[in-house]
Amino acid sequence: MEAGVTKRKGLVINDRQLDRCDDLLRKLKDVSGSSFLALISTSGQPITTASDDYHPETLSLASLAASSFAATQQLARILDENEFTLLFHEGKGMNLHVSQVTDQVLLIITFGRETQVGKVRLYSQRAIEVLRQIFEGSDDGAVPEMDADFENAAANAMDYLFRDM
Amino acid sequence: MPLINFAAREINYKIVYYGCGLCGKTTNLQYIHRKINPEARGKLVSIATEEERTLYFDFLPLTLGTVKGMQTRFHLYTVPGQSYYNASRKLVLQGIDGIIFVADSQLTRLDENVESYLNLWDNLISQGDDLTKLGFVIQMNKRDLTDVFSVEDLNELLNHTGSPVIEASAITGQGVFETLKVVCKQVIAKTG
Repeated sequence: MEAGVTKRKGLVINDRQLDRCDDLLRKLKDVSGSSFLALISTSGQPITTASDDYHPETLSLASLAASSFAATQQLARILDENEFTLLFHEGKGMNLHVSQVTDQVLLIITFGRETQVGKVRLYSQRAIEVLRQIFEGSDDGAVPEMDADFENAAANAMDYLFRDM
Repeated sequence: MPLINFAAREINYKIVYYGCGLCGKTTNLQYIHRKINPEARGKLVSIATEEERTLYFDFLPLTLGTVKGMQTRFHLYTVPGQSYYNASRKLVLQGIDGIIFVADSQLTRLDENVESYLNLWDNLISQGDDLTKLGFVIQMNKRDLTDVFSVEDLNELLNHTGSPVIEASAITGQGVFETLKVVCKQVIAKTG
């Protein structure tokens, strides 16, 4: 690390947090009848998912959902509403439900027409209460010291990836 | 504000291309998307108007691969250049780790460059960010054109932080990857 560089606040997930999140998402998926769940950061980066199948567009989904949610919050301010804590898109065959867990974490749920939105809303609210405790209870958000060799190894990886450009 | 997922062995950094309208932010991303190994990048997502002007943002995820056991990713974003869309620009800036300020080198675009540069600072300050803690690179784009400012003049006008400057022509690819590499190394140095 460079001398004098100040550590910045970040979102750090440890093993125990991730295990508890994964366990909770699996349960939420089962009881709510949803097809895909993801925890993402408010800056648009995926944390973990629960899905029957690998979702190839998870990165794009996370980016778009986080941005859309951020825009919704700004709309709330313009309308003098304290906050909109939920974003819901209803499609012909698929619905998208995005809700806020903490200042830094969002929960994305997709579900089909066979599942009632009220059911998703009810169970997701209960899950969020537990998720909030997981994220708020164990970490101050400080970015820990990475391995001393990480910077050099990353630089080498970049040189290799961009070698012919 | 990197997302470090020790459990999943992942680390994600967010980098934003900033600058005035038509300065070449989206062109940078399109060139990277076109030229880089397809296995190292995801889908290029663009939210644009019918005239292909960026309405909200462009998004391109890059995977550096596994570095010291950590799957390392860079999420590249652009902001809409037109000042009309400042509310959207602020949203894209949330949680950033690095910024590439793309300056349009043409003589006729001076006012737009300065306005965008000042606007970047206003937005960062308003959301409590300190630019000295972020990766920051200035890309002087469109160096292939004739009626352009000298690098020295642009540097004096737009680089009060003494940040690295890269000359580029995003449309031909000159300097595109060099710019990206410099800012990526910076953001890792700030957290590593």
